[in-house]
Amino acid sequence: MSYLSPVDYTEDRDFLDRLQRRLRGDLDLSWMHVDTEKVACTAQNERRGLTFRDLDVGSYGYSALPEVIRHNRSFAPRGAALPPGLPDLQAEVNRTSEVWAYNIEGYYEEAMTRQWNATTDIPWADLAGAELPEDIGKAYAQLLTFLTEVEMIATDVPAKWMGRLAADFFEVKNFIATQAMDEARHAEIFRKRALSTGYGLMRASRHNEWNLKFLRDADSFAEASLSLHLQAEGMVLTLFRFSEYVSPTEADKKLFRLVMQDEARHVGYGMQHLKWVLDHHPERREIIHQHLDEAENFVFGAGYATEVMEPFIILAGKGTKKEQIAEGVRIQQMFQQKQSEEYFDRLAKCGLPERRERSRLWKILDLTLRQQAA
Amino acid sequence: MAFFAQKDFFDDPALIELVTNIMAGNLTLGWYDVDTPRMRAVPADPARGLTYADCNLGSYGYDAIPELVRNRSSMAARGSVLVPDLPDIGYTVNRKSDVWAPCVPALYEEAKARRWAPAVDVPWAELKGGHDDPLRETAMAQLCTLLEEIALVAMEAPGRWVFWINQEFLELKSLLCAQMFDEARHVEACRKRALVGGRGLGRASVTAEHALKEILCAETYPEASLGSNLLLGSFVLAMYRALAALAATRADRLLATLSMQDVARSVAYGIGQAEYHLAHQPAKVDAFGAYLDRIEHTMLGIVGSAEFLEPLVLLAGGGDGPDAVERGTRFARRWLAATCEDYFARCRRTGLGDRRDRSRLGRVLGELTG
Repeated sequence: MSYLSPVDYTEDRDFLDRLQRRLRGDLDLSWMHVDTEKVACTAQNERRGLTFRDLDVGSYGYSALPEVIRHNRSFAPRGAALPPGLPDLQAEVNRTSEVWAYNIEGYYEEAMTRQWNATTDIPWADLAGAELPEDIGKAYAQLLTFLTEVEMIATDVPAKWMGRLAADFFEVKNFIATQAMDEARHAEIFRKRALSTGYGLMRASRHNEWNLKFLRDADSFAEASLSLHLQAEGMVLTLFRFSEYVSPTEADKKLFRLVMQDEARHVGYGMQHLKWVLDHHPERREIIHQHLDEAENFVFGAGYATEVMEPFIILAGKGTKKEQIAEGVRIQQMFQQKQSEEYFDRLAKCGLPERRERSRLWKILDLTLRQQAA
Repeated sequence: MAFFAQKDFFDDPALIELVTNIMAGNLTLGWYDVDTPRMRAVPADPARGLTYADCNLGSYGYDAIPELVRNRSSMAARGSVLVPDLPDIGYTVNRKSDVWAPCVPALYEEAKARRWAPAVDVPWAELKGGHDDPLRETAMAQLCTLLEEIALVAMEAPGRWVFWINQEFLELKSLLCAQMFDEARHVEACRKRALVGGRGLGRASVTAEHALKEILCAETYPEASLGSNLLLGSFVLAMYRALAALAATRADRLLATLSMQDVARSVAYGIGQAEYHLAHQPAKVDAFGAYLDRIEHTMLGIVGSAEFLEPLVLLAGGGDGPDAVERGTRFARRWLAATCEDYFARCRRTGLGDRRDRSRLGRVLGELTG
């Protein structure tokens, strides 16, 4: 048996007597006289509507959040009057710097307004008539199988942490909820597209699955966010961009453009969160580096994921003839370089420029680039 | 860090050799000839787009999910070819009838199609400065404070389980994500409504919060769904319906009706899940009945709280004078009785039988409202 309310409300005489009096019109009305701030928030820009930023007022606002949440361990909305006896929701994450990001409220509002629908926003009927050559069709179905496989990790991980955050961080919780929905939609669109190619789903990717387990099992929300939002989704964002470039039809290009706008938001949160952590807690730098050391080990090991690399080469080269493979390899190399460069650039922008010096991944990339230049 | 790669890939000559070979144009193509069924999903109705129902094909479809998912514990996409040495991700909810309902794919599609955004879809300007009647505005702010409190819990409820539910149940996990999204929207909408009116937030409710925590902390997913979707959902749906009926502005009515359509989806899933669960595990009828016997009292902690019932009375009566309060309490008694009846009707639909004679909640509400 799990948590039980201290009172069974159908048996508690005091509660029932009060309820009976209330239903006869004997109202208590003490809630009318609570000493909460009286505010009337208005939309600063009526075209944009009433946003969370417009609600950033006094004790209700996120700007007033302390670093450590001590006073509210319940589900009470931030700024509400807290009567004695509220339960403890057992939040495990009570430090603002553990979850907060610059512009979190903006990312949430954007997520709410930029929802799209995988069922209707892609011209599926047109795609049904678009026959792909066998090598392209299979390569594309394999790439889509991989994308279907990995997307739900970014649903599972945020969901795991949502209930562990203090209720005062509701803007972050709300953002997490939008991310879970975004990723469900991504899994949906990639699955639907794989099944509409006529080639069905292909093979699971062992190496990537182990990487997913690494993402799932992070010790803290900050670690989970670092490896999920910033590293993994950052690299997937680059993959989406190149996938748009190599995808076989206009409808497929649209598909990748739609998922990119969501993914960019998640990466934005990851970056702004890391920046917040480094601005407020520079002493955590070494812990961050240690986590990235292992995350990059998985990134480098992705060479084993032939289920991703090879279909990409075929798609990029537009076939399996020798010269097409050579062209595909050239684009694949460009993609890998771009992916790593963007990743290190993002870290530098967040305040971690020394990552390049420490990273074995960067050293290998740097060596490759110098060899190519020579 | 709790989990590490099986080796240091930077010091792995086999990996370097593999990648060098591929980059020299020698692809392995081990994935190229996998033996999965070649099927093509096409929209049954082009105007409706490509739905999950259109993708319910052979081994890829949700109809093909076995009752017990024994051999797929990774994140591999349903219907894809498994390779040796895939990790066990750690899913603990692996039984179809513990999570499934036939309405799941359609509800997920509906959730996406009926999206709305509180920032722009509620005409907030209408509420500038609050209602002319300060009493009404205070009552509205208090109701919205409680609804925000409830939505925070309702957002967390599916989140607690998504992590543990097998990836094979993709459509169901997606619906739970849509639920989280819906509830995030309710947190937002109710908070915004409370803070535009000039009164600020009201008071958190001790009795409601203990009740909500009891519902949230269900030990199994079927119980969690029963408690949060069917039981709590039924009462929250009625709360929004009351709010819509009592709204004095178009903005308030819209906020309530838009929220209602979201909550109605949760209730529909709750009914469908319980019905499917009991159809496949009929021995659970007693266990479900006993669970509801234990937790139905929580609804009294929520709807009987001063923080919900009293503002409802003031809004329904239109003031705090004796006549207004009399009108308001009459409305509240009718509302309580009708809401409880609706809930019992939903229970009957699931196969739980008639709970009216058995339920302590029904008995107490009958005495209080009769």
